[in-house]
Amino acid sequence: MNEIVAIAKKEFMDNWRNKWVIAVSSIFVILTLVISYFGSGFGSGGVGWKDLDVTIAGMMTLVSILIPIIGLMLGYAAIVGEREKGSLELLLSYPVKREEVIAGKFIGLGAVMAMANFIGFGIAGIIIGINVKDVAWGDYFIFILSSILLGLVFISIALFFSSIFKKRSTAMGGAIFLWFLFEMIWDIVLAGILMAQYGIGKLSDPDFVAPSYYYIISLMNPVKAYSTLAALNISSISSNLGNLPSFVNTPFVLAILFAWMIVMLAGGYLIFKRKDL
Amino acid sequence: MIEVSNLRKEYDGVVAVDGISFKVEKGEIFALLGPNGAGKTTTIKSILGLINYEGEIKIEGKEARSNEKEIKRKLGYLPEKVAFYDNLTAIQTLQFFAELKGLKNVDFMALLKEVGLEKDAERKVGGYSKGMLQRLGFAQCIMGSPSLLILDEPTTGLDAVGAYELREKIKRLNEEGVTILLSSHILSEVQELSHRVAIMNKGKIVAIDTVENLSKKFEVEPRLRVELQRPSDYILKLVKGIKSVKDVKADGNVLEILCPPSAKLSIINTIEEAGGKILDFKTVEPTLEEIFIKVVKENE
Ligand SMILES: Nc1ncnc2c1ncn2[C@@H]1O[C@H](COP(=O)(O)OP(=O)(O)OP(=O)(O)O)[C@@H](O)[C@H]1O
Ligand SMILES: [Mg+2]
Repeated sequence: MNEIVAIAKKEFMDNWRNKWVIAVSSIFVILTLVISYFGSGFGSGGVGWKDLDVTIAGMMTLVSILIPIIGLMLGYAAIVGEREKGSLELLLSYPVKREEVIAGKFIGLGAVMAMANFIGFGIAGIIIGINVKDVAWGDYFIFILSSILLGLVFISIALFFSSIFKKRSTAMGGAIFLWFLFEMIWDIVLAGILMAQYGIGKLSDPDFVAPSYYYIISLMNPVKAYSTLAALNISSISSNLGNLPSFVNTPFVLAILFAWMIVMLAGGYLIFKRKDL
Repeated sequence: MIEVSNLRKEYDGVVAVDGISFKVEKGEIFALLGPNGAGKTTTIKSILGLINYEGEIKIEGKEARSNEKEIKRKLGYLPEKVAFYDNLTAIQTLQFFAELKGLKNVDFMALLKEVGLEKDAERKVGGYSKGMLQRLGFAQCIMGSPSLLILDEPTTGLDAVGAYELREKIKRLNEEGVTILLSSHILSEVQELSHRVAIMNKGKIVAIDTVENLSKKFEVEPRLRVELQRPSDYILKLVKGIKSVKDVKADGNVLEILCPPSAKLSIINTIEEAGGKILDFKTVEPTLEEIFIKVVKENE
């Protein structure tokens, strides 16, 4: 346990010292304020401070693109970087098991993610809160928590690539591929399958309900699971949901997000365990 | 202390270590000696569980892999290529590693002073030279007074004074009871430091014993070096004629005579009687180099 804490602390302090925490927090503050004041570019309410729930609605897309990037960037080199440099050999000559290295790095980087989200969105929320009347703090808090969860999923994915590859560049390639997969390819492929199955006429029918497998596969994408989680729990964006089968609820999408974390961390460990240093 | 049995390691097709067995006894300095690629580092990494291997390794009677944590708390390791975290200072580096070992109240400054880095304690390790990294590497491995030290080529990158000081420290730690396993291809270093040597070549241990016993076994004997004012073929012939003399080599004014110690006196007498003027003479102990070359060649 001590060892996990020591590694987590170091990982956090590294990102504190190199100003990552501050940089990411600042991005969140600026982004939130800009979107709240100027709107998200869809003419939603013109210039001027908007209520937090309107702000959230404007931010969903951007955050679901940005958080995965930040998570991947934070984690992709965490293990492979040390391996390439050689410090991993020394680290593992100490009473630290490989699973503890992964756990420690995950916790440390997760703390960086959580802290940047709380500071960034927190400061922005307070500024907005001072300027508007109705403040939906509850919804905003749920938004921050879901974003952190998404961040943790992508940190796990990054750590997976970081544990299984010998080179930083390969790990980065894997991370970039996954980002494209979840942000673009996944939806396009699924839409293509639906199209092939039902034809465009049926799909444009407003009463069309896709088969269950579509929702299951679609929600396997952690980015989709995140936006669904947020929409299920934040009233101002619940209209994003459309028709949903009844099994799609908060526990279901939470389970998907946690399953990603566990599968990525455990899978990374199982492969990492067999590697020679 | 360490018991290695039938250790074998293959890196996709390359057999790095080919079924070796040896024991390192408590309290001794044991050296793995061998040319580049002999399998020294691979052996050491196996003992530390840094790589997967076939065979069995026990440390203090316990199976190494399943008792990893317990074993590593009492062990210090200096890797062949020392690498730290560039963004940390020497003090922060030691603090981190002390935490990993669960060490409290470590005097980091004293430790850095011990390796001559006290002035660089607050500098980032990223700016350190090779030798400074090696010194810091030694500092981290002796932190917390481990009972077993594993040093993979400990003097690489050090200047002459640094290497000398390190050897002295290794000896002192050993006198205090620390068991030491080291690897090296510097023969004089191994000869000076170690109680026992395993000579490795191509993944196999080709000889294992004390330096003294190895020289007996491989018939590398002490030599008598005699410096003459004016050597002559006549003297050379006379010396060669002495019964117990096995070999004589002339090199300028110096005769190098391979003979048992008991023959020394008769050699000196023979030379003087023949009118040769002896300027100096001494016995040269066999070097590990001779043993090494002989052993490695025999196994080619
Ligand atoms: N990670 C690796 N992948 C593939 N082959 C390796 C790896 N590490 C070592 N080898 C091979 O295993 C053999 C033994 O290497 P090892 O590093 O153990 O030798 P060594 O005795 O420590 O040599 P040196 O004196 O150069 O340090 C060599 O043939 C080497 O090429
Ligand atoms: Mg080596």
